[in-house]
Amino acid sequence: MTTFSRTLGSAKKRFSVFLRRFFKKKRTRIGIYGPPNAGKTTLANRIARDWTGDAVGPVSEIPHETRRARKREDIVITGANGHRVTIDIVDTPGVTTKIDYHEFLEFGMEKDEAIIRAREATEGVAEAMHWLREDIDGVIYMLDSTLDPFMQVNIMMVGIIESRKLPVIIVANKIDLPDAAPARIRSAFPQHPVVAISGLEGRNTEELYEKMIHNFA
Amino acid sequence: MPHKCTKCGREYKDGSTEILKGCASCGGKKFLYVKESEINKDVFEEKTIEEIAGESKEEVLEVVEHVAMGKPKKEVEMFDRVETIRIVGPGSYELNIDKMAKSDERIVSVGDEEGSYIIDLMSMAKDEPKKKKGKKR
Repeated sequence: MTTFSRTLGSAKKRFSVFLRRFFKKKRTRIGIYGPPNAGKTTLANRIARDWTGDAVGPVSEIPHETRRARKREDIVITGANGHRVTIDIVDTPGVTTKIDYHEFLEFGMEKDEAIIRAREATEGVAEAMHWLREDIDGVIYMLDSTLDPFMQVNIMMVGIIESRKLPVIIVANKIDLPDAAPARIRSAFPQHPVVAISGLEGRNTEELYEKMIHNFA
Repeated sequence: MPHKCTKCGREYKDGSTEILKGCASCGGKKFLYVKESEINKDVFEEKTIEEIAGESKEEVLEVVEHVAMGKPKKEVEMFDRVETIRIVGPGSYELNIDKMAKSDERIVSVGDEEGSYIIDLMSMAKDEPKKKKGKKR
């Protein structure tokens, strides 16, 4: 009797997995990529708060605060004309080519703690790249518009995203800061849509949402 | 037989390790091996050590250690590198994101020098077809 019920249980489970797979609504999985401290988590939090009322993760001024990719599923974004897109947002660790614990010491961190942070950040970059290869349908590439966009890592990352034929929106963040120069980012990546926003203040995010519906739907 | 600095003439005992750091007086890097009997030849004949070096058949020793260390290190571009991650030191890493974007295979190099690698065989032993199955693109 127990064997029978167990078999029935597992058959039920398998059937439900089959059903879920069959009727699963296709969601677009959007990865927020960019160098450390560009404001990826701030934007992920803003998107999640605007459309679900929830947050994704903590933010800090110390680089590599996000060291594991974080996901927020089933975010429905509705545009002004009623068009909508259902997305999963993946907030990824900042991608960089060099991680040195010394940079964390400047923020008053203890050496041991800084070394652990560097190690976790390295694993985080590997994880971000793994997601990009396996499980991402579109990319929001975040840049700090007060900084030079022509950094090797940005050129490489945009190149990698292009080679994977993923739709990409480039976000020139931090336009609330006085020395922000989003035009520099526009001229650096003329082949992609660029939206200038302030993730912190929520400035111009409507334009980003419209672009997301247009590019990721 | 002693050595003499070709620049300032300071004497150093045979086998002295001091000269490996260069002359203690003038920082000269070249030393002449002189015979015991001719140790004061430069003073008596009012010649420089370099002139004596030209006359004698002895080879002038040059401290090359410093020269080798001063050579600019050959910087290998990140995308030419074979390793995915270079561990420069504890808590200091260089990442090859181009390689990371292509596969999960991990080759790790340790230290600042080229030619020392750790290969994570487990990362390469994954079942490729299965992985592709789950792939969306």
